[in-house]
Amino acid sequence: MGDIKSMNNQTKSQFVAVASITSELSAVMVVAKEISLAAANAKAIAFRAGDKAKGFQPITDFINELAKETIELVTNINVYALLLYRLTVDEYRRTAAYNKFELVAKTAEGAMYVESMKAPVEAAKNRMLDCQRQFKRDVAMLLGQLEAVMHHARAARVIAANSRIEASQAGEYLQSLQAVAESVDNAAHTIHDNVQRCRIALSIYRNS
Amino acid sequence: MKMTKIYEGSHQWIMFGRDDNKPDNIIDSNQYAVRTSNRCLLMDPGGSELFSAMMAAVLHHAPVEQITDLFASHQDPDVISSLGLWDQALSNAKLHAPALWEGFLRHYGCESIEYVPIPDNGGTIKLDSVELQLIPAHYLHSSGNFHVYDAKAKILMSGDVGAALEAPGAPVFVENFDLHVEKMRYFHQRWMPSNQAKRAWIERVRNLDIDILAPQHGRMFKGDDVKRFLDWFDGLQVGIGV
Repeated sequence: MGDIKSMNNQTKSQFVAVASITSELSAVMVVAKEISLAAANAKAIAFRAGDKAKGFQPITDFINELAKETIELVTNINVYALLLYRLTVDEYRRTAAYNKFELVAKTAEGAMYVESMKAPVEAAKNRMLDCQRQFKRDVAMLLGQLEAVMHHARAARVIAANSRIEASQAGEYLQSLQAVAESVDNAAHTIHDNVQRCRIALSIYRNS
Repeated sequence: MKMTKIYEGSHQWIMFGRDDNKPDNIIDSNQYAVRTSNRCLLMDPGGSELFSAMMAAVLHHAPVEQITDLFASHQDPDVISSLGLWDQALSNAKLHAPALWEGFLRHYGCESIEYVPIPDNGGTIKLDSVELQLIPAHYLHSSGNFHVYDAKAKILMSGDVGAALEAPGAPVFVENFDLHVEKMRYFHQRWMPSNQAKRAWIERVRNLDIDILAPQHGRMFKGDDVKRFLDWFDGLQVGIGV
């Protein structure tokens, strides 16, 4: 019974982990869209500032590109997270069936046809193990994709630092451009933190 | 799980119920099986809480591979929420259930079992040489509802009609009809919504030759108690919730 209980607890925490990923990623999506908006804003300011913000102009394109790629990545990850959720539902059903079938075989000891339960028990066990293996494979893939988002977040922070340097040479536009750099930096922090939480939630299943 | 053979002839009827290990807070239910030479039909096989006890009991009468048919009189969880588990246990089975409830019942999980939708006017289930009739019982209590009649065994499996709310361990047959009435009255008045549907069902069932009326809860009726039940039900006002 101890094994069944710990198996059920693991399934429950899997549901929570997968649901929390979806929630964290929707927050990342909002922030990535904010970066995209900041890039458009920065571009307009840099255009007005002319030569004073010459070094800033290419940075705005980088920021925009980064935001677009992050949105794309997160959209793909969301599809994976949904698959992972379905897999968790399957695993829950299959684990429940396996546990019940084992109980049937035990309860029916002495019944004329108890032997006929062997094949369903074995099949249920294999289906459950298949599901668990698939879950681990999908988790590993998702962790790889989350790493790519982290990479984007780190790049955004570098861009924010460069933006600050360029902003310092933009005369009366200094404050506006520094505000842009600030918002990119904050967004990068938020993305980093949210994705890190996803990775922690998932990493326990990679080797479990 | 108590097992009671209620017909023994060219085929068998077995009633399953009064499970001692059932959690106290779920309603007790009767499950039925028809066993022929090579096949076994389970009628209203029960909720998922009951699955292990029910399947273990069935293994006294049939091997897993010969459980070829399931029947669900309607969509309630105490009737068929175990479907997802049977679905994983049975490799070659059909579920006969109201067409009206197909999209709903599939929520319980029905991937390998073939769903055979029963049209509103009923149908039959053929098990080896035995033919069972599916008698419409719509609005008693579910809007898509069927009972199973075996003309050879003279048994009508009547779903929630004839059901009673009983103490644990009650006998499986009604012993004193007059005393039994109070255990059935509220159930029928509150769960059954339509006097019109009730009259149509009674008219249809009075034409059948019935030795045993076998409901999904409470006790079965045999002999003269079947007619007593139909007369009592005929005079009962139902649908009292409004």
